[in-house]
Amino acid sequence: MELLNNLGINGKLLLAQIVNFLVLLFILKKFAYGPVLKMLNDRTKKIEKGLKDSEEARKKLEEITEKEKEVLKKAREEAQVIIKNAEDQAKANAVSIVLEGRDQGEKLIINAKKQIEQEKNKMMVEIKSEVAELVARATEKIIGEKLDSGKDRELIEKVIR
Amino acid sequence: MEISLAAEPLFHIGTFTVTNTLIMSLILSCVIIVASFILKKKLKLIPKGFQNIIEYIMEAFLNLVDSVTHNRKQSEIFFPIVMTIFIFVILSNWIEIIPGLGTIGINETHEGKTILVPFIRSASADLNVTLAIALISVFFVQFLGIATIGISKYAGKFFVSPLRKPYLVGTFVGLLEIISEFAKIISFSFRLFGNIFAGEVLLIVMLNLVPYFVPLPFLFLEIFVGFVQALVFAMLTLVFLKMATVEAAH
Repeated sequence: MELLNNLGINGKLLLAQIVNFLVLLFILKKFAYGPVLKMLNDRTKKIEKGLKDSEEARKKLEEITEKEKEVLKKAREEAQVIIKNAEDQAKANAVSIVLEGRDQGEKLIINAKKQIEQEKNKMMVEIKSEVAELVARATEKIIGEKLDSGKDRELIEKVIR
Repeated sequence: MEISLAAEPLFHIGTFTVTNTLIMSLILSCVIIVASFILKKKLKLIPKGFQNIIEYIMEAFLNLVDSVTHNRKQSEIFFPIVMTIFIFVILSNWIEIIPGLGTIGINETHEGKTILVPFIRSASADLNVTLAIALISVFFVQFLGIATIGISKYAGKFFVSPLRKPYLVGTFVGLLEIISEFAKIISFSFRLFGNIFAGEVLLIVMLNLVPYFVPLPFLFLEIFVGFVQALVFAMLTLVFLKMATVEAAH
């Protein structure tokens, strides 16, 4: 006890210091370590989440870009096919239209020719008959006598033929 | 110049002697508590200034504890004890570098002589304080040892039957372990007390011999010693805690 006294160790003071330290420990645990460590954890989690989210967003963006490219490519291909089809169709149509036109033209020409022929024939007949009449009348005047009507005609027709 | 091994009493409350180190440790505790309240109030997800410093220190310490325990859950149990010891010890060590050491005080007449009773004295330069922290540290070592591996296994470290494998050697080692637990208290308290008390005496002597410039290197030395001693105290506590919570490998 003498030794402890010389060293300044005093039971009451020792107890006071122990209590003091325990109170300090309790308060620090409650007000400093707990909240600070929680905050550190929260921050770590938040940063991790943020990084993960950004990575995901980047991936998604890449995916979307890829998809977009694909869609564009497909659309272009489809457009090409459609244009090609249309061109083919148009070409085929053009040929058929030309052919039809030609046919029709030919038909028209043929018809016109036929009509002309008919007209001509008709005219010929008319002219012939008129000429025969005229000739007959002229001959009659010249000859002064009228031939037998039947013979007359026969003769004239033989002449003009 | 009067240097006393025991802390100087300032006044008495009834039979209770109030010493300068008690006042110092109370002031220190109040400062730490107020700082922690401010910290809690101003705690934000995006840190700033004071919070940054505290977070940096705490994270460094937590990593240190992790490197010893290799177990986050256990680290979270050890961390408050180790961290509080570190904060309290380093700040009480650094009290001695406050200007006014050994000079500001009250004159008391004691047995016909006038003695200056200084106000400022490192809390760590009082065996009551260092012994108190050492007792708490060793108490937590025992307590957490028992709580972690169970009382029978924990007791098995100290009381080994002389009939088992290494026979009497095991029993003797167990006995040594018991003694070493008590030695821990003594080594903890006297190491810190000795270092800081010696540093304080050195500073007082230097200040009395050459008041200007010469004490400066010693002040820096004391800052360093204070830090090292606090770290040693905290680290030893941490290692003892870890050792107590590991089952004996026989």
